[in-house]
Amino acid sequence: MISSFWVALRAEIYVGLRSHASRLVVILPALIACAQLVLTSMLTASREASETMFGGMGAGQIEGADAWGTLVDAYATGLTLIGLLLAGYAAWSLANDKDSGVLRHLLIRHASRRTMLMVKLVHAHLLGIASIAVLLVSCTLCAWLIWDFGPVVEDGYELIGTSEILTELRLGLLLAIIPLPAAITMGLLVSVLAGNSTQALVAALGITLALDILKGIIGAASDYIYASYLVSLLDSSYLRDVSRLVRGFSDVMINPTTLQMNQWVPWPQAIFLLLLAWYAINRKPV
Amino acid sequence: MKATDAILSVTSLRKRFAAVEVLKGIDLTVTPGAIHGLVGLNGSGKTTTMECVLGMQSFQSGDVRILGRQPADIWQCHGAVVGIFDTPGLHTGLTVRQVLTHARMLCPQPVRSPAEVEDMLGLGRYSHYRIRQLSLGNRRRVSIAHALLGQPQFIIMDEPFNGLDAGGVDDVLALIKDLNSQTGTSFLLSSHQLAYLESICSHISILHNGRISLTETLQNLAGSADTQLRIVCDKADAAATLLQSDPAIRISSQEQNQLNLQTVGIDAAEINRRLVMAGISVSELQALRRGLHQVFQDIVNAPADSPLQEAS
Repeated sequence: MISSFWVALRAEIYVGLRSHASRLVVILPALIACAQLVLTSMLTASREASETMFGGMGAGQIEGADAWGTLVDAYATGLTLIGLLLAGYAAWSLANDKDSGVLRHLLIRHASRRTMLMVKLVHAHLLGIASIAVLLVSCTLCAWLIWDFGPVVEDGYELIGTSEILTELRLGLLLAIIPLPAAITMGLLVSVLAGNSTQALVAALGITLALDILKGIIGAASDYIYASYLVSLLDSSYLRDVSRLVRGFSDVMINPTTLQMNQWVPWPQAIFLLLLAWYAINRKPV
Repeated sequence: MKATDAILSVTSLRKRFAAVEVLKGIDLTVTPGAIHGLVGLNGSGKTTTMECVLGMQSFQSGDVRILGRQPADIWQCHGAVVGIFDTPGLHTGLTVRQVLTHARMLCPQPVRSPAEVEDMLGLGRYSHYRIRQLSLGNRRRVSIAHALLGQPQFIIMDEPFNGLDAGGVDDVLALIKDLNSQTGTSFLLSSHQLAYLESICSHISILHNGRISLTETLQNLAGSADTQLRIVCDKADAAATLLQSDPAIRISSQEQNQLNLQTVGIDAAEINRRLVMAGISVSELQALRRGLHQVFQDIVNAPADSPLQEAS
């Protein structure tokens, strides 16, 4: 079983490296995040030029806030897309193999259904790691070329130091990444249950967006949904707080309990969704 | 033959889709080295049978053993069983070479390289074409090429001739024959192309009304049980009266001195003996060999309680 898993994973990676869908998941978030950085820098430069020309620059200007704030926003945009794309990819991948008949060859010749489920799960995680790495490297590099990074200073007074910013940024990114496995397993479950790849893709994206809306409606109960900690369109993740923090806002309220929940709530949900998929895959026709 | 010796043994297989019972207790055995054809009308359950056998569909009851394993464990045969379906299951974004390289990765003991199987199936010039750029026939060739990378013991093919041109059909028929004779690979083929099956199969099963109505070797099928005879004799009316008294004989038509008969389990020599004993002089007696098409038509068109169906 283990050897068939590794061989099937290797074959899956072989296909993944040559697939447009995989490339899209890895490159698109980084591309859009970098485009956002460049666009913001142009708008900032334009605003500063305008203020200089009309004498608007003066007291109250916060140095360094634009650089850090824009970088965090770019990370958030990229992670929002990664969350959506990974859930969609996980849903599409297995269902598409079912549609095309590729899965049949694998199941007859090499691996059990559950082994293939685990192969898809691991492959989606590898794609996630690759897309996050590409996002972080490209955005950081892009931002480093555009701005000078340092402490956030207002009127000569340091609001927040560089090391503190980096600590918060690391924590924000880590907490934003933790719910991604749950999003992937949700996609896989949808993939197992769906009749075809289109249905799977639409359902996975629909559920992700519905959870995003739902978390705003159910109030405190949303703390128990993994989607509350995903960076998303209606963002309530810790990375949003980091974005405000690095801009020098002093009213950012950080609830330690929420941070704890962020670390622990997504895991049992990911396992539960995986167990459902594990149970269902042997009962569905291929 | 014991079920354990068989490559494929299907016993009392029942499959229901909602209220429709598609398979009503299929019994099917494929022996080692056989090329077994499965024929039936559209919707008779050929593909469903194959999918149940290969573990792609669950079934309500019955027992299926394929190389001694249950369908869910078929992957443990590690390439000894290959299924080629009506729709070629291929990654459409990959090239032919990439698809075959991918398949080779999954093959535990490959015996041929992708280049070799491309040559065997005339795919060499399409090697760098993406699958989506190929015709259905060439996609089918690629899915057959999949099977040839390893050394399968048993290949199940659903409608293998669909989408192939005449040359392609000849290639596939030759390939099946070669694999069968050289490596002893067994086959289960389903097709509507009865003439192709007749030219290649050692055994035929006819699936009708959710059951296997007939399983026979092709040799027996051609000359056996159910035979058509043309008799020319001097007393046709007397001959007809004599022969009609036997329930195993049916007079199909009578024209002047000529009788056309359909018999079950009685050969031409026995008919001749009876006529001569009755003082009827037989000037011509011709046994008409029945093709698979005729046998299939008779079974499909015969009423359920017909002696012809019971005989099969």
